[in-house]
Order: sequence, then structure tokens, then C-alpha cells
Amino acid sequence: MLGYVARRLLALVPVLFGVSLLVFILTAIALGDPVRAAMGQRGDPEVIAEIRREYGLDEPIWVQYGLWMGRLLRGDLGRSYHQQRPVTEIVAERFPATLRLALAAMAFAVVLGLAAGLAAAVWRGTALDALVMAGALLGISTPVFWLGLMLILVFAAGLGWFPVSGYGDGGWRHLVLPALTLGALQTGVIARMARASLLEVIGQEYIRTARAKGLAEARVLGKHALRNALLPVVTVVGIGLADLLVGAPLTETVFAWPGLGRMLVAAVGQRDLPVVMGAVLLFAVIYVVGNLLVDLAYGAIDPRLRR
Amino acid sequence: MSPRAIVLLLSVLCLLADPGWAARRGGTYRLALVTDPPTLDPAQATDTTSSAIIRQLFDGLLELDERMQPVPSLAARWGVSQDQRVYTFHLRPGVRFHHGRELTARDVKASFERAARGKRPWVFEKIQGAPAFIRGQAQAIRGIRVPDARTVEITLERPFAPFPMLMAYDAAFVVPVEEAERLGPAFASRPVGTGPFRFVAWRHDDQVALEAFPGHFRGAPFLERVVYRIIPEETTRFAEYLAGNLEHVDVPTGHFRALRADPALSRELHVWPTLGTYALRFTVTRPPFDNPTLRRAFNHAIDKEAIARVILEESVVVARGVLPPGMPGHDPALVGHPYDPEQARRLLAEAGHPGGRGLPPITLHYNVNPLHRRIAELVQAQLRELGVTIQLASLDWAAYIKLVDDGGTQWHRMGWIADYPDPENFLTVLFHSRNHGAAGNTSRYANPAVDRLLDEADRLPLGPGRLAKYREAERLIVADAPWVFLYHYTSRLLQKPYVRDLERSPLSGAPEMHVAPLRKVWLDR
Repeated sequence: MLGYVARRLLALVPVLFGVSLLVFILTAIALGDPVRAAMGQRGDPEVIAEIRREYGLDEPIWVQYGLWMGRLLRGDLGRSYHQQRPVTEIVAERFPATLRLALAAMAFAVVLGLAAGLAAAVWRGTALDALVMAGALLGISTPVFWLGLMLILVFAAGLGWFPVSGYGDGGWRHLVLPALTLGALQTGVIARMARASLLEVIGQEYIRTARAKGLAEARVLGKHALRNALLPVVTVVGIGLADLLVGAPLTETVFAWPGLGRMLVAAVGQRDLPVVMGAVLLFAVIYVVGNLLVDLAYGAIDPRLRR
Repeated sequence: MSPRAIVLLLSVLCLLADPGWAARRGGTYRLALVTDPPTLDPAQATDTTSSAIIRQLFDGLLELDERMQPVPSLAARWGVSQDQRVYTFHLRPGVRFHHGRELTARDVKASFERAARGKRPWVFEKIQGAPAFIRGQAQAIRGIRVPDARTVEITLERPFAPFPMLMAYDAAFVVPVEEAERLGPAFASRPVGTGPFRFVAWRHDDQVALEAFPGHFRGAPFLERVVYRIIPEETTRFAEYLAGNLEHVDVPTGHFRALRADPALSRELHVWPTLGTYALRFTVTRPPFDNPTLRRAFNHAIDKEAIARVILEESVVVARGVLPPGMPGHDPALVGHPYDPEQARRLLAEAGHPGGRGLPPITLHYNVNPLHRRIAELVQAQLRELGVTIQLASLDWAAYIKLVDDGGTQWHRMGWIADYPDPENFLTVLFHSRNHGAAGNTSRYANPAVDRLLDEADRLPLGPGRLAKYREAERLIVADAPWVFLYHYTSRLLQKPYVRDLERSPLSGAPEMHVAPLRKVWLDR
């Protein structure tokens, strides 16, 4: 098992190299100049040229990449052009907020999505099933931006149950509306997946055998069906968590949440290459590690896969 | 009248004369910023978001009062020589930085030299020897002298009457240089100034907190704390205001008419003119807009009133020229190029393109923003009625400003808001031929007669003679039509009724209100 994990982690190196090269080239050749963008509307051409020299932006792109890579190997992600602070400091500052939001959104999605999906499967063809499926479709198709604003207008500005926006003192009340907004899509996906998966499993012969043996329905579902039905759901949760970590900029913008996604979008707009590179590398690691965790979870749920 | 009655009467008169007599102390002022400030270092800031906070943390030699006139700040008084080139500033005694050290004239010189090599060197370039220093060809700015610890003497290369306004500009704010050197780039996140508020904390993309500095040379401000919340989405800012979590906020796009009609919120709505002009600028060195007749035709073809009415909810002033109302030198008699489709058709034909025929493909560029897009689409529709087809192209700011600087567009939108209330800051910066490209003149307009008038006006002392030259220059510029002058900005603000003495300056807009001195603000609740 350890060897397997080590091999998977080693495979991360070429992935990160490829991602870094691609993102570096794309950002560097994109129209625009980070120094000019940071000068406001009135820039002194000589000052712009001087700052470009200072950051090494007047060097050819492969030299810039080589310098960046050299720093990376020494554990230095460079300094933000825009904020003039170390990228590691900036990323480390934002990541906890994004992680917290993504975990809360996923917790909400798993609890509600799984419960709704399983209930819909057990009571297939009933009004409850239709209601759950309609809700899931709504969760998947509602734009995050719109949903966030509606939740703010109703539950924060209207009823005053939750704060409108911001991180506040880090308490749970600030987390509820952003987590509901971000988790809505995953809730729908998990509900549909859980329903389909459980329906498939309970149609199989071993379930019929269990029922024929006279086992209670709760035991049939809980012990025999659910475990197998959970496998595809674990895949969705694993990849979904990575999606939530990476895909939060809209939610973070609506709720003024100080996370990594919002920072990345701003950095792309400012052509702040070191920040973009730092954030993208982190996201690449999250995706690869997320996939690895899903594979490991498979083994834990289905012992046959460990062989 | 008895002596006791006289003393009582005098006391009452004194209290009435002091506008702060009834002001209450304490409370937290909460306001929103649209983006995280890039820096809190006056030498590095280029944006109004950073400036909004910097202006509470630092002071300059001078400041602009409510009438936008320079008045003493760190300098208790100042004078200028007969030849209008040497300014002498006498510092107040006993001014202290937030970390306790007393300010001296050497701090002023060191701060100016530090900032001259920062991101806004143009603020200092009029000082003798500054251009060489900025380019790294001199060790110090020759024109800044410190005869003693309380006196700063600044010699200009040539007379420049608005110079005191530059001394009130935030790039010229004074920092304790030893602290700035000790912290290096971290000074931008842990600023130390002399201002009425001192820095407490900054959680990036979330909030910046300041607290009253009791040792300020004017005494402690009324407010105990100021908290800037960073809220990028305008609807969220509005919801925070409605929930009572912000003391003031900007008006969300498309809500102005509804707010004006709302019986409660209309009482909290404030609208005032801003010294700014929104225009569609031609690149006059590139065909087809190297033809002034064609530029005039486009000017007459565009219905500015419709743009103001339909898109901007009648909250702006239609422009007839460059200088906005309220700016010294603004010419109310200027007619400009009013909407006149017939005249536009005649001029199109005169330019060799009757009915728009024979025109090359034309692209109007704008930076990504829903307002700019809507304006561009309306202009496109209006031109189509004359047979002229244009394409629209949008880019994000970083790509856009580079393309515009490099003269890579045929036609582009751009707004300009005054740095200081002087026509030089509009006309010379935006139309003098030495400022082509990034320096401000993105139209690459060049007219020797205009250059000459601007050069003469820039050197004259303040007064009617100087303004007359600027007016003449503006008339020539408008006749050449290097821009389609669309509208002059207004600022729109919702402010809680208990907020007192928040200055609504023509130089600042909501939500930042970046030139408003929060030391004057108090909360009446």
C-alpha cells in the first residue's frame, strides 16, 4: 500500500511540471503587462521599463521560466508583482478560508444529497422521489451567483438570520450561506448518483437472496446494499471536493469570502504571474491528491479492490 | 451687560463658531471597498482604493479643504518667491509619527525622494533636478533643501501654479523613512504615518481596521475605529448597507431611479458632480480617424443625451467638452458637437464616406465592464442608423491598457477623474503632444497651437489670464474632435442619516470616498 501511495505521489512531479509550463506560457503570452496594469491610468514609460527590468520581465520567456523553476526548487514561489509580498504568504493566508468553505459545502452536500438520494431510491416512483429529483435538478442548474444573492436577500438582509457577507470572526454563522450556495450543485449531483446507484444495487440477485432469507428491509439496505451503492458516490465526493476547492471564486465574490479562488481570478486579471503559478500548482496538487484519496477510499469500502 | 453675562455670551459664540462643538466621540465607521487595496504605502499606490486608506494614515505638507483649496496640514504655513519658483514650507512643531518619533524636515525630503522613485514620479517631476533623480542619474533631488529641522524649501524647474495642490496629493505624504527602510516591502502592509488614524490589522480580501491616533497634531479624531470591508459585489454591498452594517455605500447599477422614488431611502441618497469626463477616444494617428472631419461626423452621430437618459438613469451631465463643471476654466458657453444626424451625414460625405461607404472595418475597444458594454452597444446602434457599421471588442484591464498605451486601437473608451482640481491635470496631461501613450494622451493628439497654449498656461500664476489660455486650448481641442465627449461623472452615495460631516468632494466617489477626511466624521447616535 505504501509503495502504491509513493508511486502515485511521484507521478505528481511530471504533472506539476506540465501544468506549470503550460500555465506559465499561457499567462506570459496573454495580452497585457502586469507592471503597466499596476500603474493605474497614468504610467511613466521609464518607470514601467525599470520595474519590468527589476522583475526580470524583460527577459525571454524561457529565461523567466527557468528563473521561476530555480526558485521553486529552493521552495520559493516568488513575490507578487501586485502586492509585493511572498506568494507562499499570500496562498497560505487564503487557503484555510477556501478549505473551510469547501469542507462545509461538501458536508452539507453529502448529508443532504445522500439522505435525499437514498430516500428517493427507497421510495421510488412516489411524490417524494419526484420532489427529490426536481430539487436535485434545481441544485445542479441554478447559477451560483443568482442563488448566492437570493440567499443573501432572503436570509441575511430580509430575515436577518445570518450575516450578509464576509469572514467575520470565523464563526459558523458566516459560513452557512456561502456553504449552501457552493454546495448546491454537489448536493444535486450526489442525490442523483446515490439514487441511481442504490436502485442498481437493490435490483441485483444477492439483494433478492438476502430478502428471500427473511432479513429485515433495514438490514438488507443498510448492510448489503448501501455499502456497494456508496462506491460511485465516493468518486463523486472525492472529485467534487477538489472541484469545490478550485471552483469557489463566484461564491467567494458574492459573499466577500477571502479565499483562494477570488484571489486567483484577481491575479489573472492583473497578470500577476507568480501568484497565478502558486495558486495553480496548489490546485493541481489538490486534484492529484484528491484522486489518490478516492482510490484509497475504494479499498476501504470494497475489500476486493485491495487485492 | 455684566462681565459674567459677557463671558457666557462669548462662550456660547465660541461653541457655535466651532463646528465640532456638538460632535460626539466614539463609534466605528464601516465602509466598503470594491477590491483589496494593493498597497498602503503612499510611494507605491496608484489607485483610489489604496488612497482612501492612505489618506487616513498619513498627512501631507498641505491638504485640500472642502472648496478644494490648499490649506495647511503638516506645514503650518508656506510662501512662494516672487518668481513663483521657490516654495518654503514651515512645519508645525511637535508632530509625531504613530511610533512616537517627532517629524522633521528631513523626513519630508526623504519621503519625497523615496516616492519620486515610486509609482507616481510625475508628482515630483516639476522640482528642480527631479527628472535626473527619477532616472537614477542623481543621488538626491537638487531642488529640495532642508535649511533647518522645521523648514523645507522646494525649487521648481519653472513656475507651476498648481504645485501646492501636488503637495496635498497622497503620493507626497510623509513617511518615517527609517521605518520604511527597516520593513522594506512589508511597509506596504504595516504602515506608519502621522495621520489621524493608525493601522491596526489587515485581513486581505476581507477587511482593514484602523483606530484613532490620540497623538495626532489636530487632536484625536471623533471616531474610535474605521473598518474597511472588502466587498467586490455591488448587490452584496447594498445588502450590507440595508442590514445596517455599513455607514455608507455606492448605489448599485440600475437602482438609482428606484432609490430616488423610495420615500425612506431617497432621504439617504446623495448625488454630486465629480471632476471627471467619460469619452470615446479616437487614435488620431491611425486611419480612418486621422481625418478630423470623420471624427466630427462621429461626434454628431452619437446621441449623448440618450446615453445619459437610458443607461445612466439621468444621473450624469452630458459633456460638451473636456473640462467638467466645477473645474476652474470650465467653459459653460462651449457648444461641442451636439447630436445632429443630418450634420453627421453631411460630414460623413465630406470625409469621403457618404452613407458610411468606403470606411475600413472599425473597432471600438472597451475594458470589460457591463456599463462600458452597454454604452458601446448603444453607440454601435446609433452609428448603424447612419450606415456605419462598427465592431466592438472588450479586453480585461491589463490587456486593454497596454493595447491603448501602444496606440493599438482605432477607437477606445476611457474615463478621467482629476487628481487635483486644475485644468492642467486634464488638458496638458491628456492632450499635450509630449504625453502620448501611457503618460495620458492615449489619442496621440498633437496640435502645435494647443501645445503652445498649454505650455504658456502651465507657467502662469493662478488667475483669469491662465484660465483664458486653457479655455482657448480646449476650444481648439474640441474643434479637432479627438474624442467623442460623452458625459461628466457624478457620484451617487447612500449615507445613513446619523453620519455627520462626511465630505462629498468632487474629487472622490462612492464607495471609497477616497479624499474624504474621516477625522472630521462623527456619528450622531
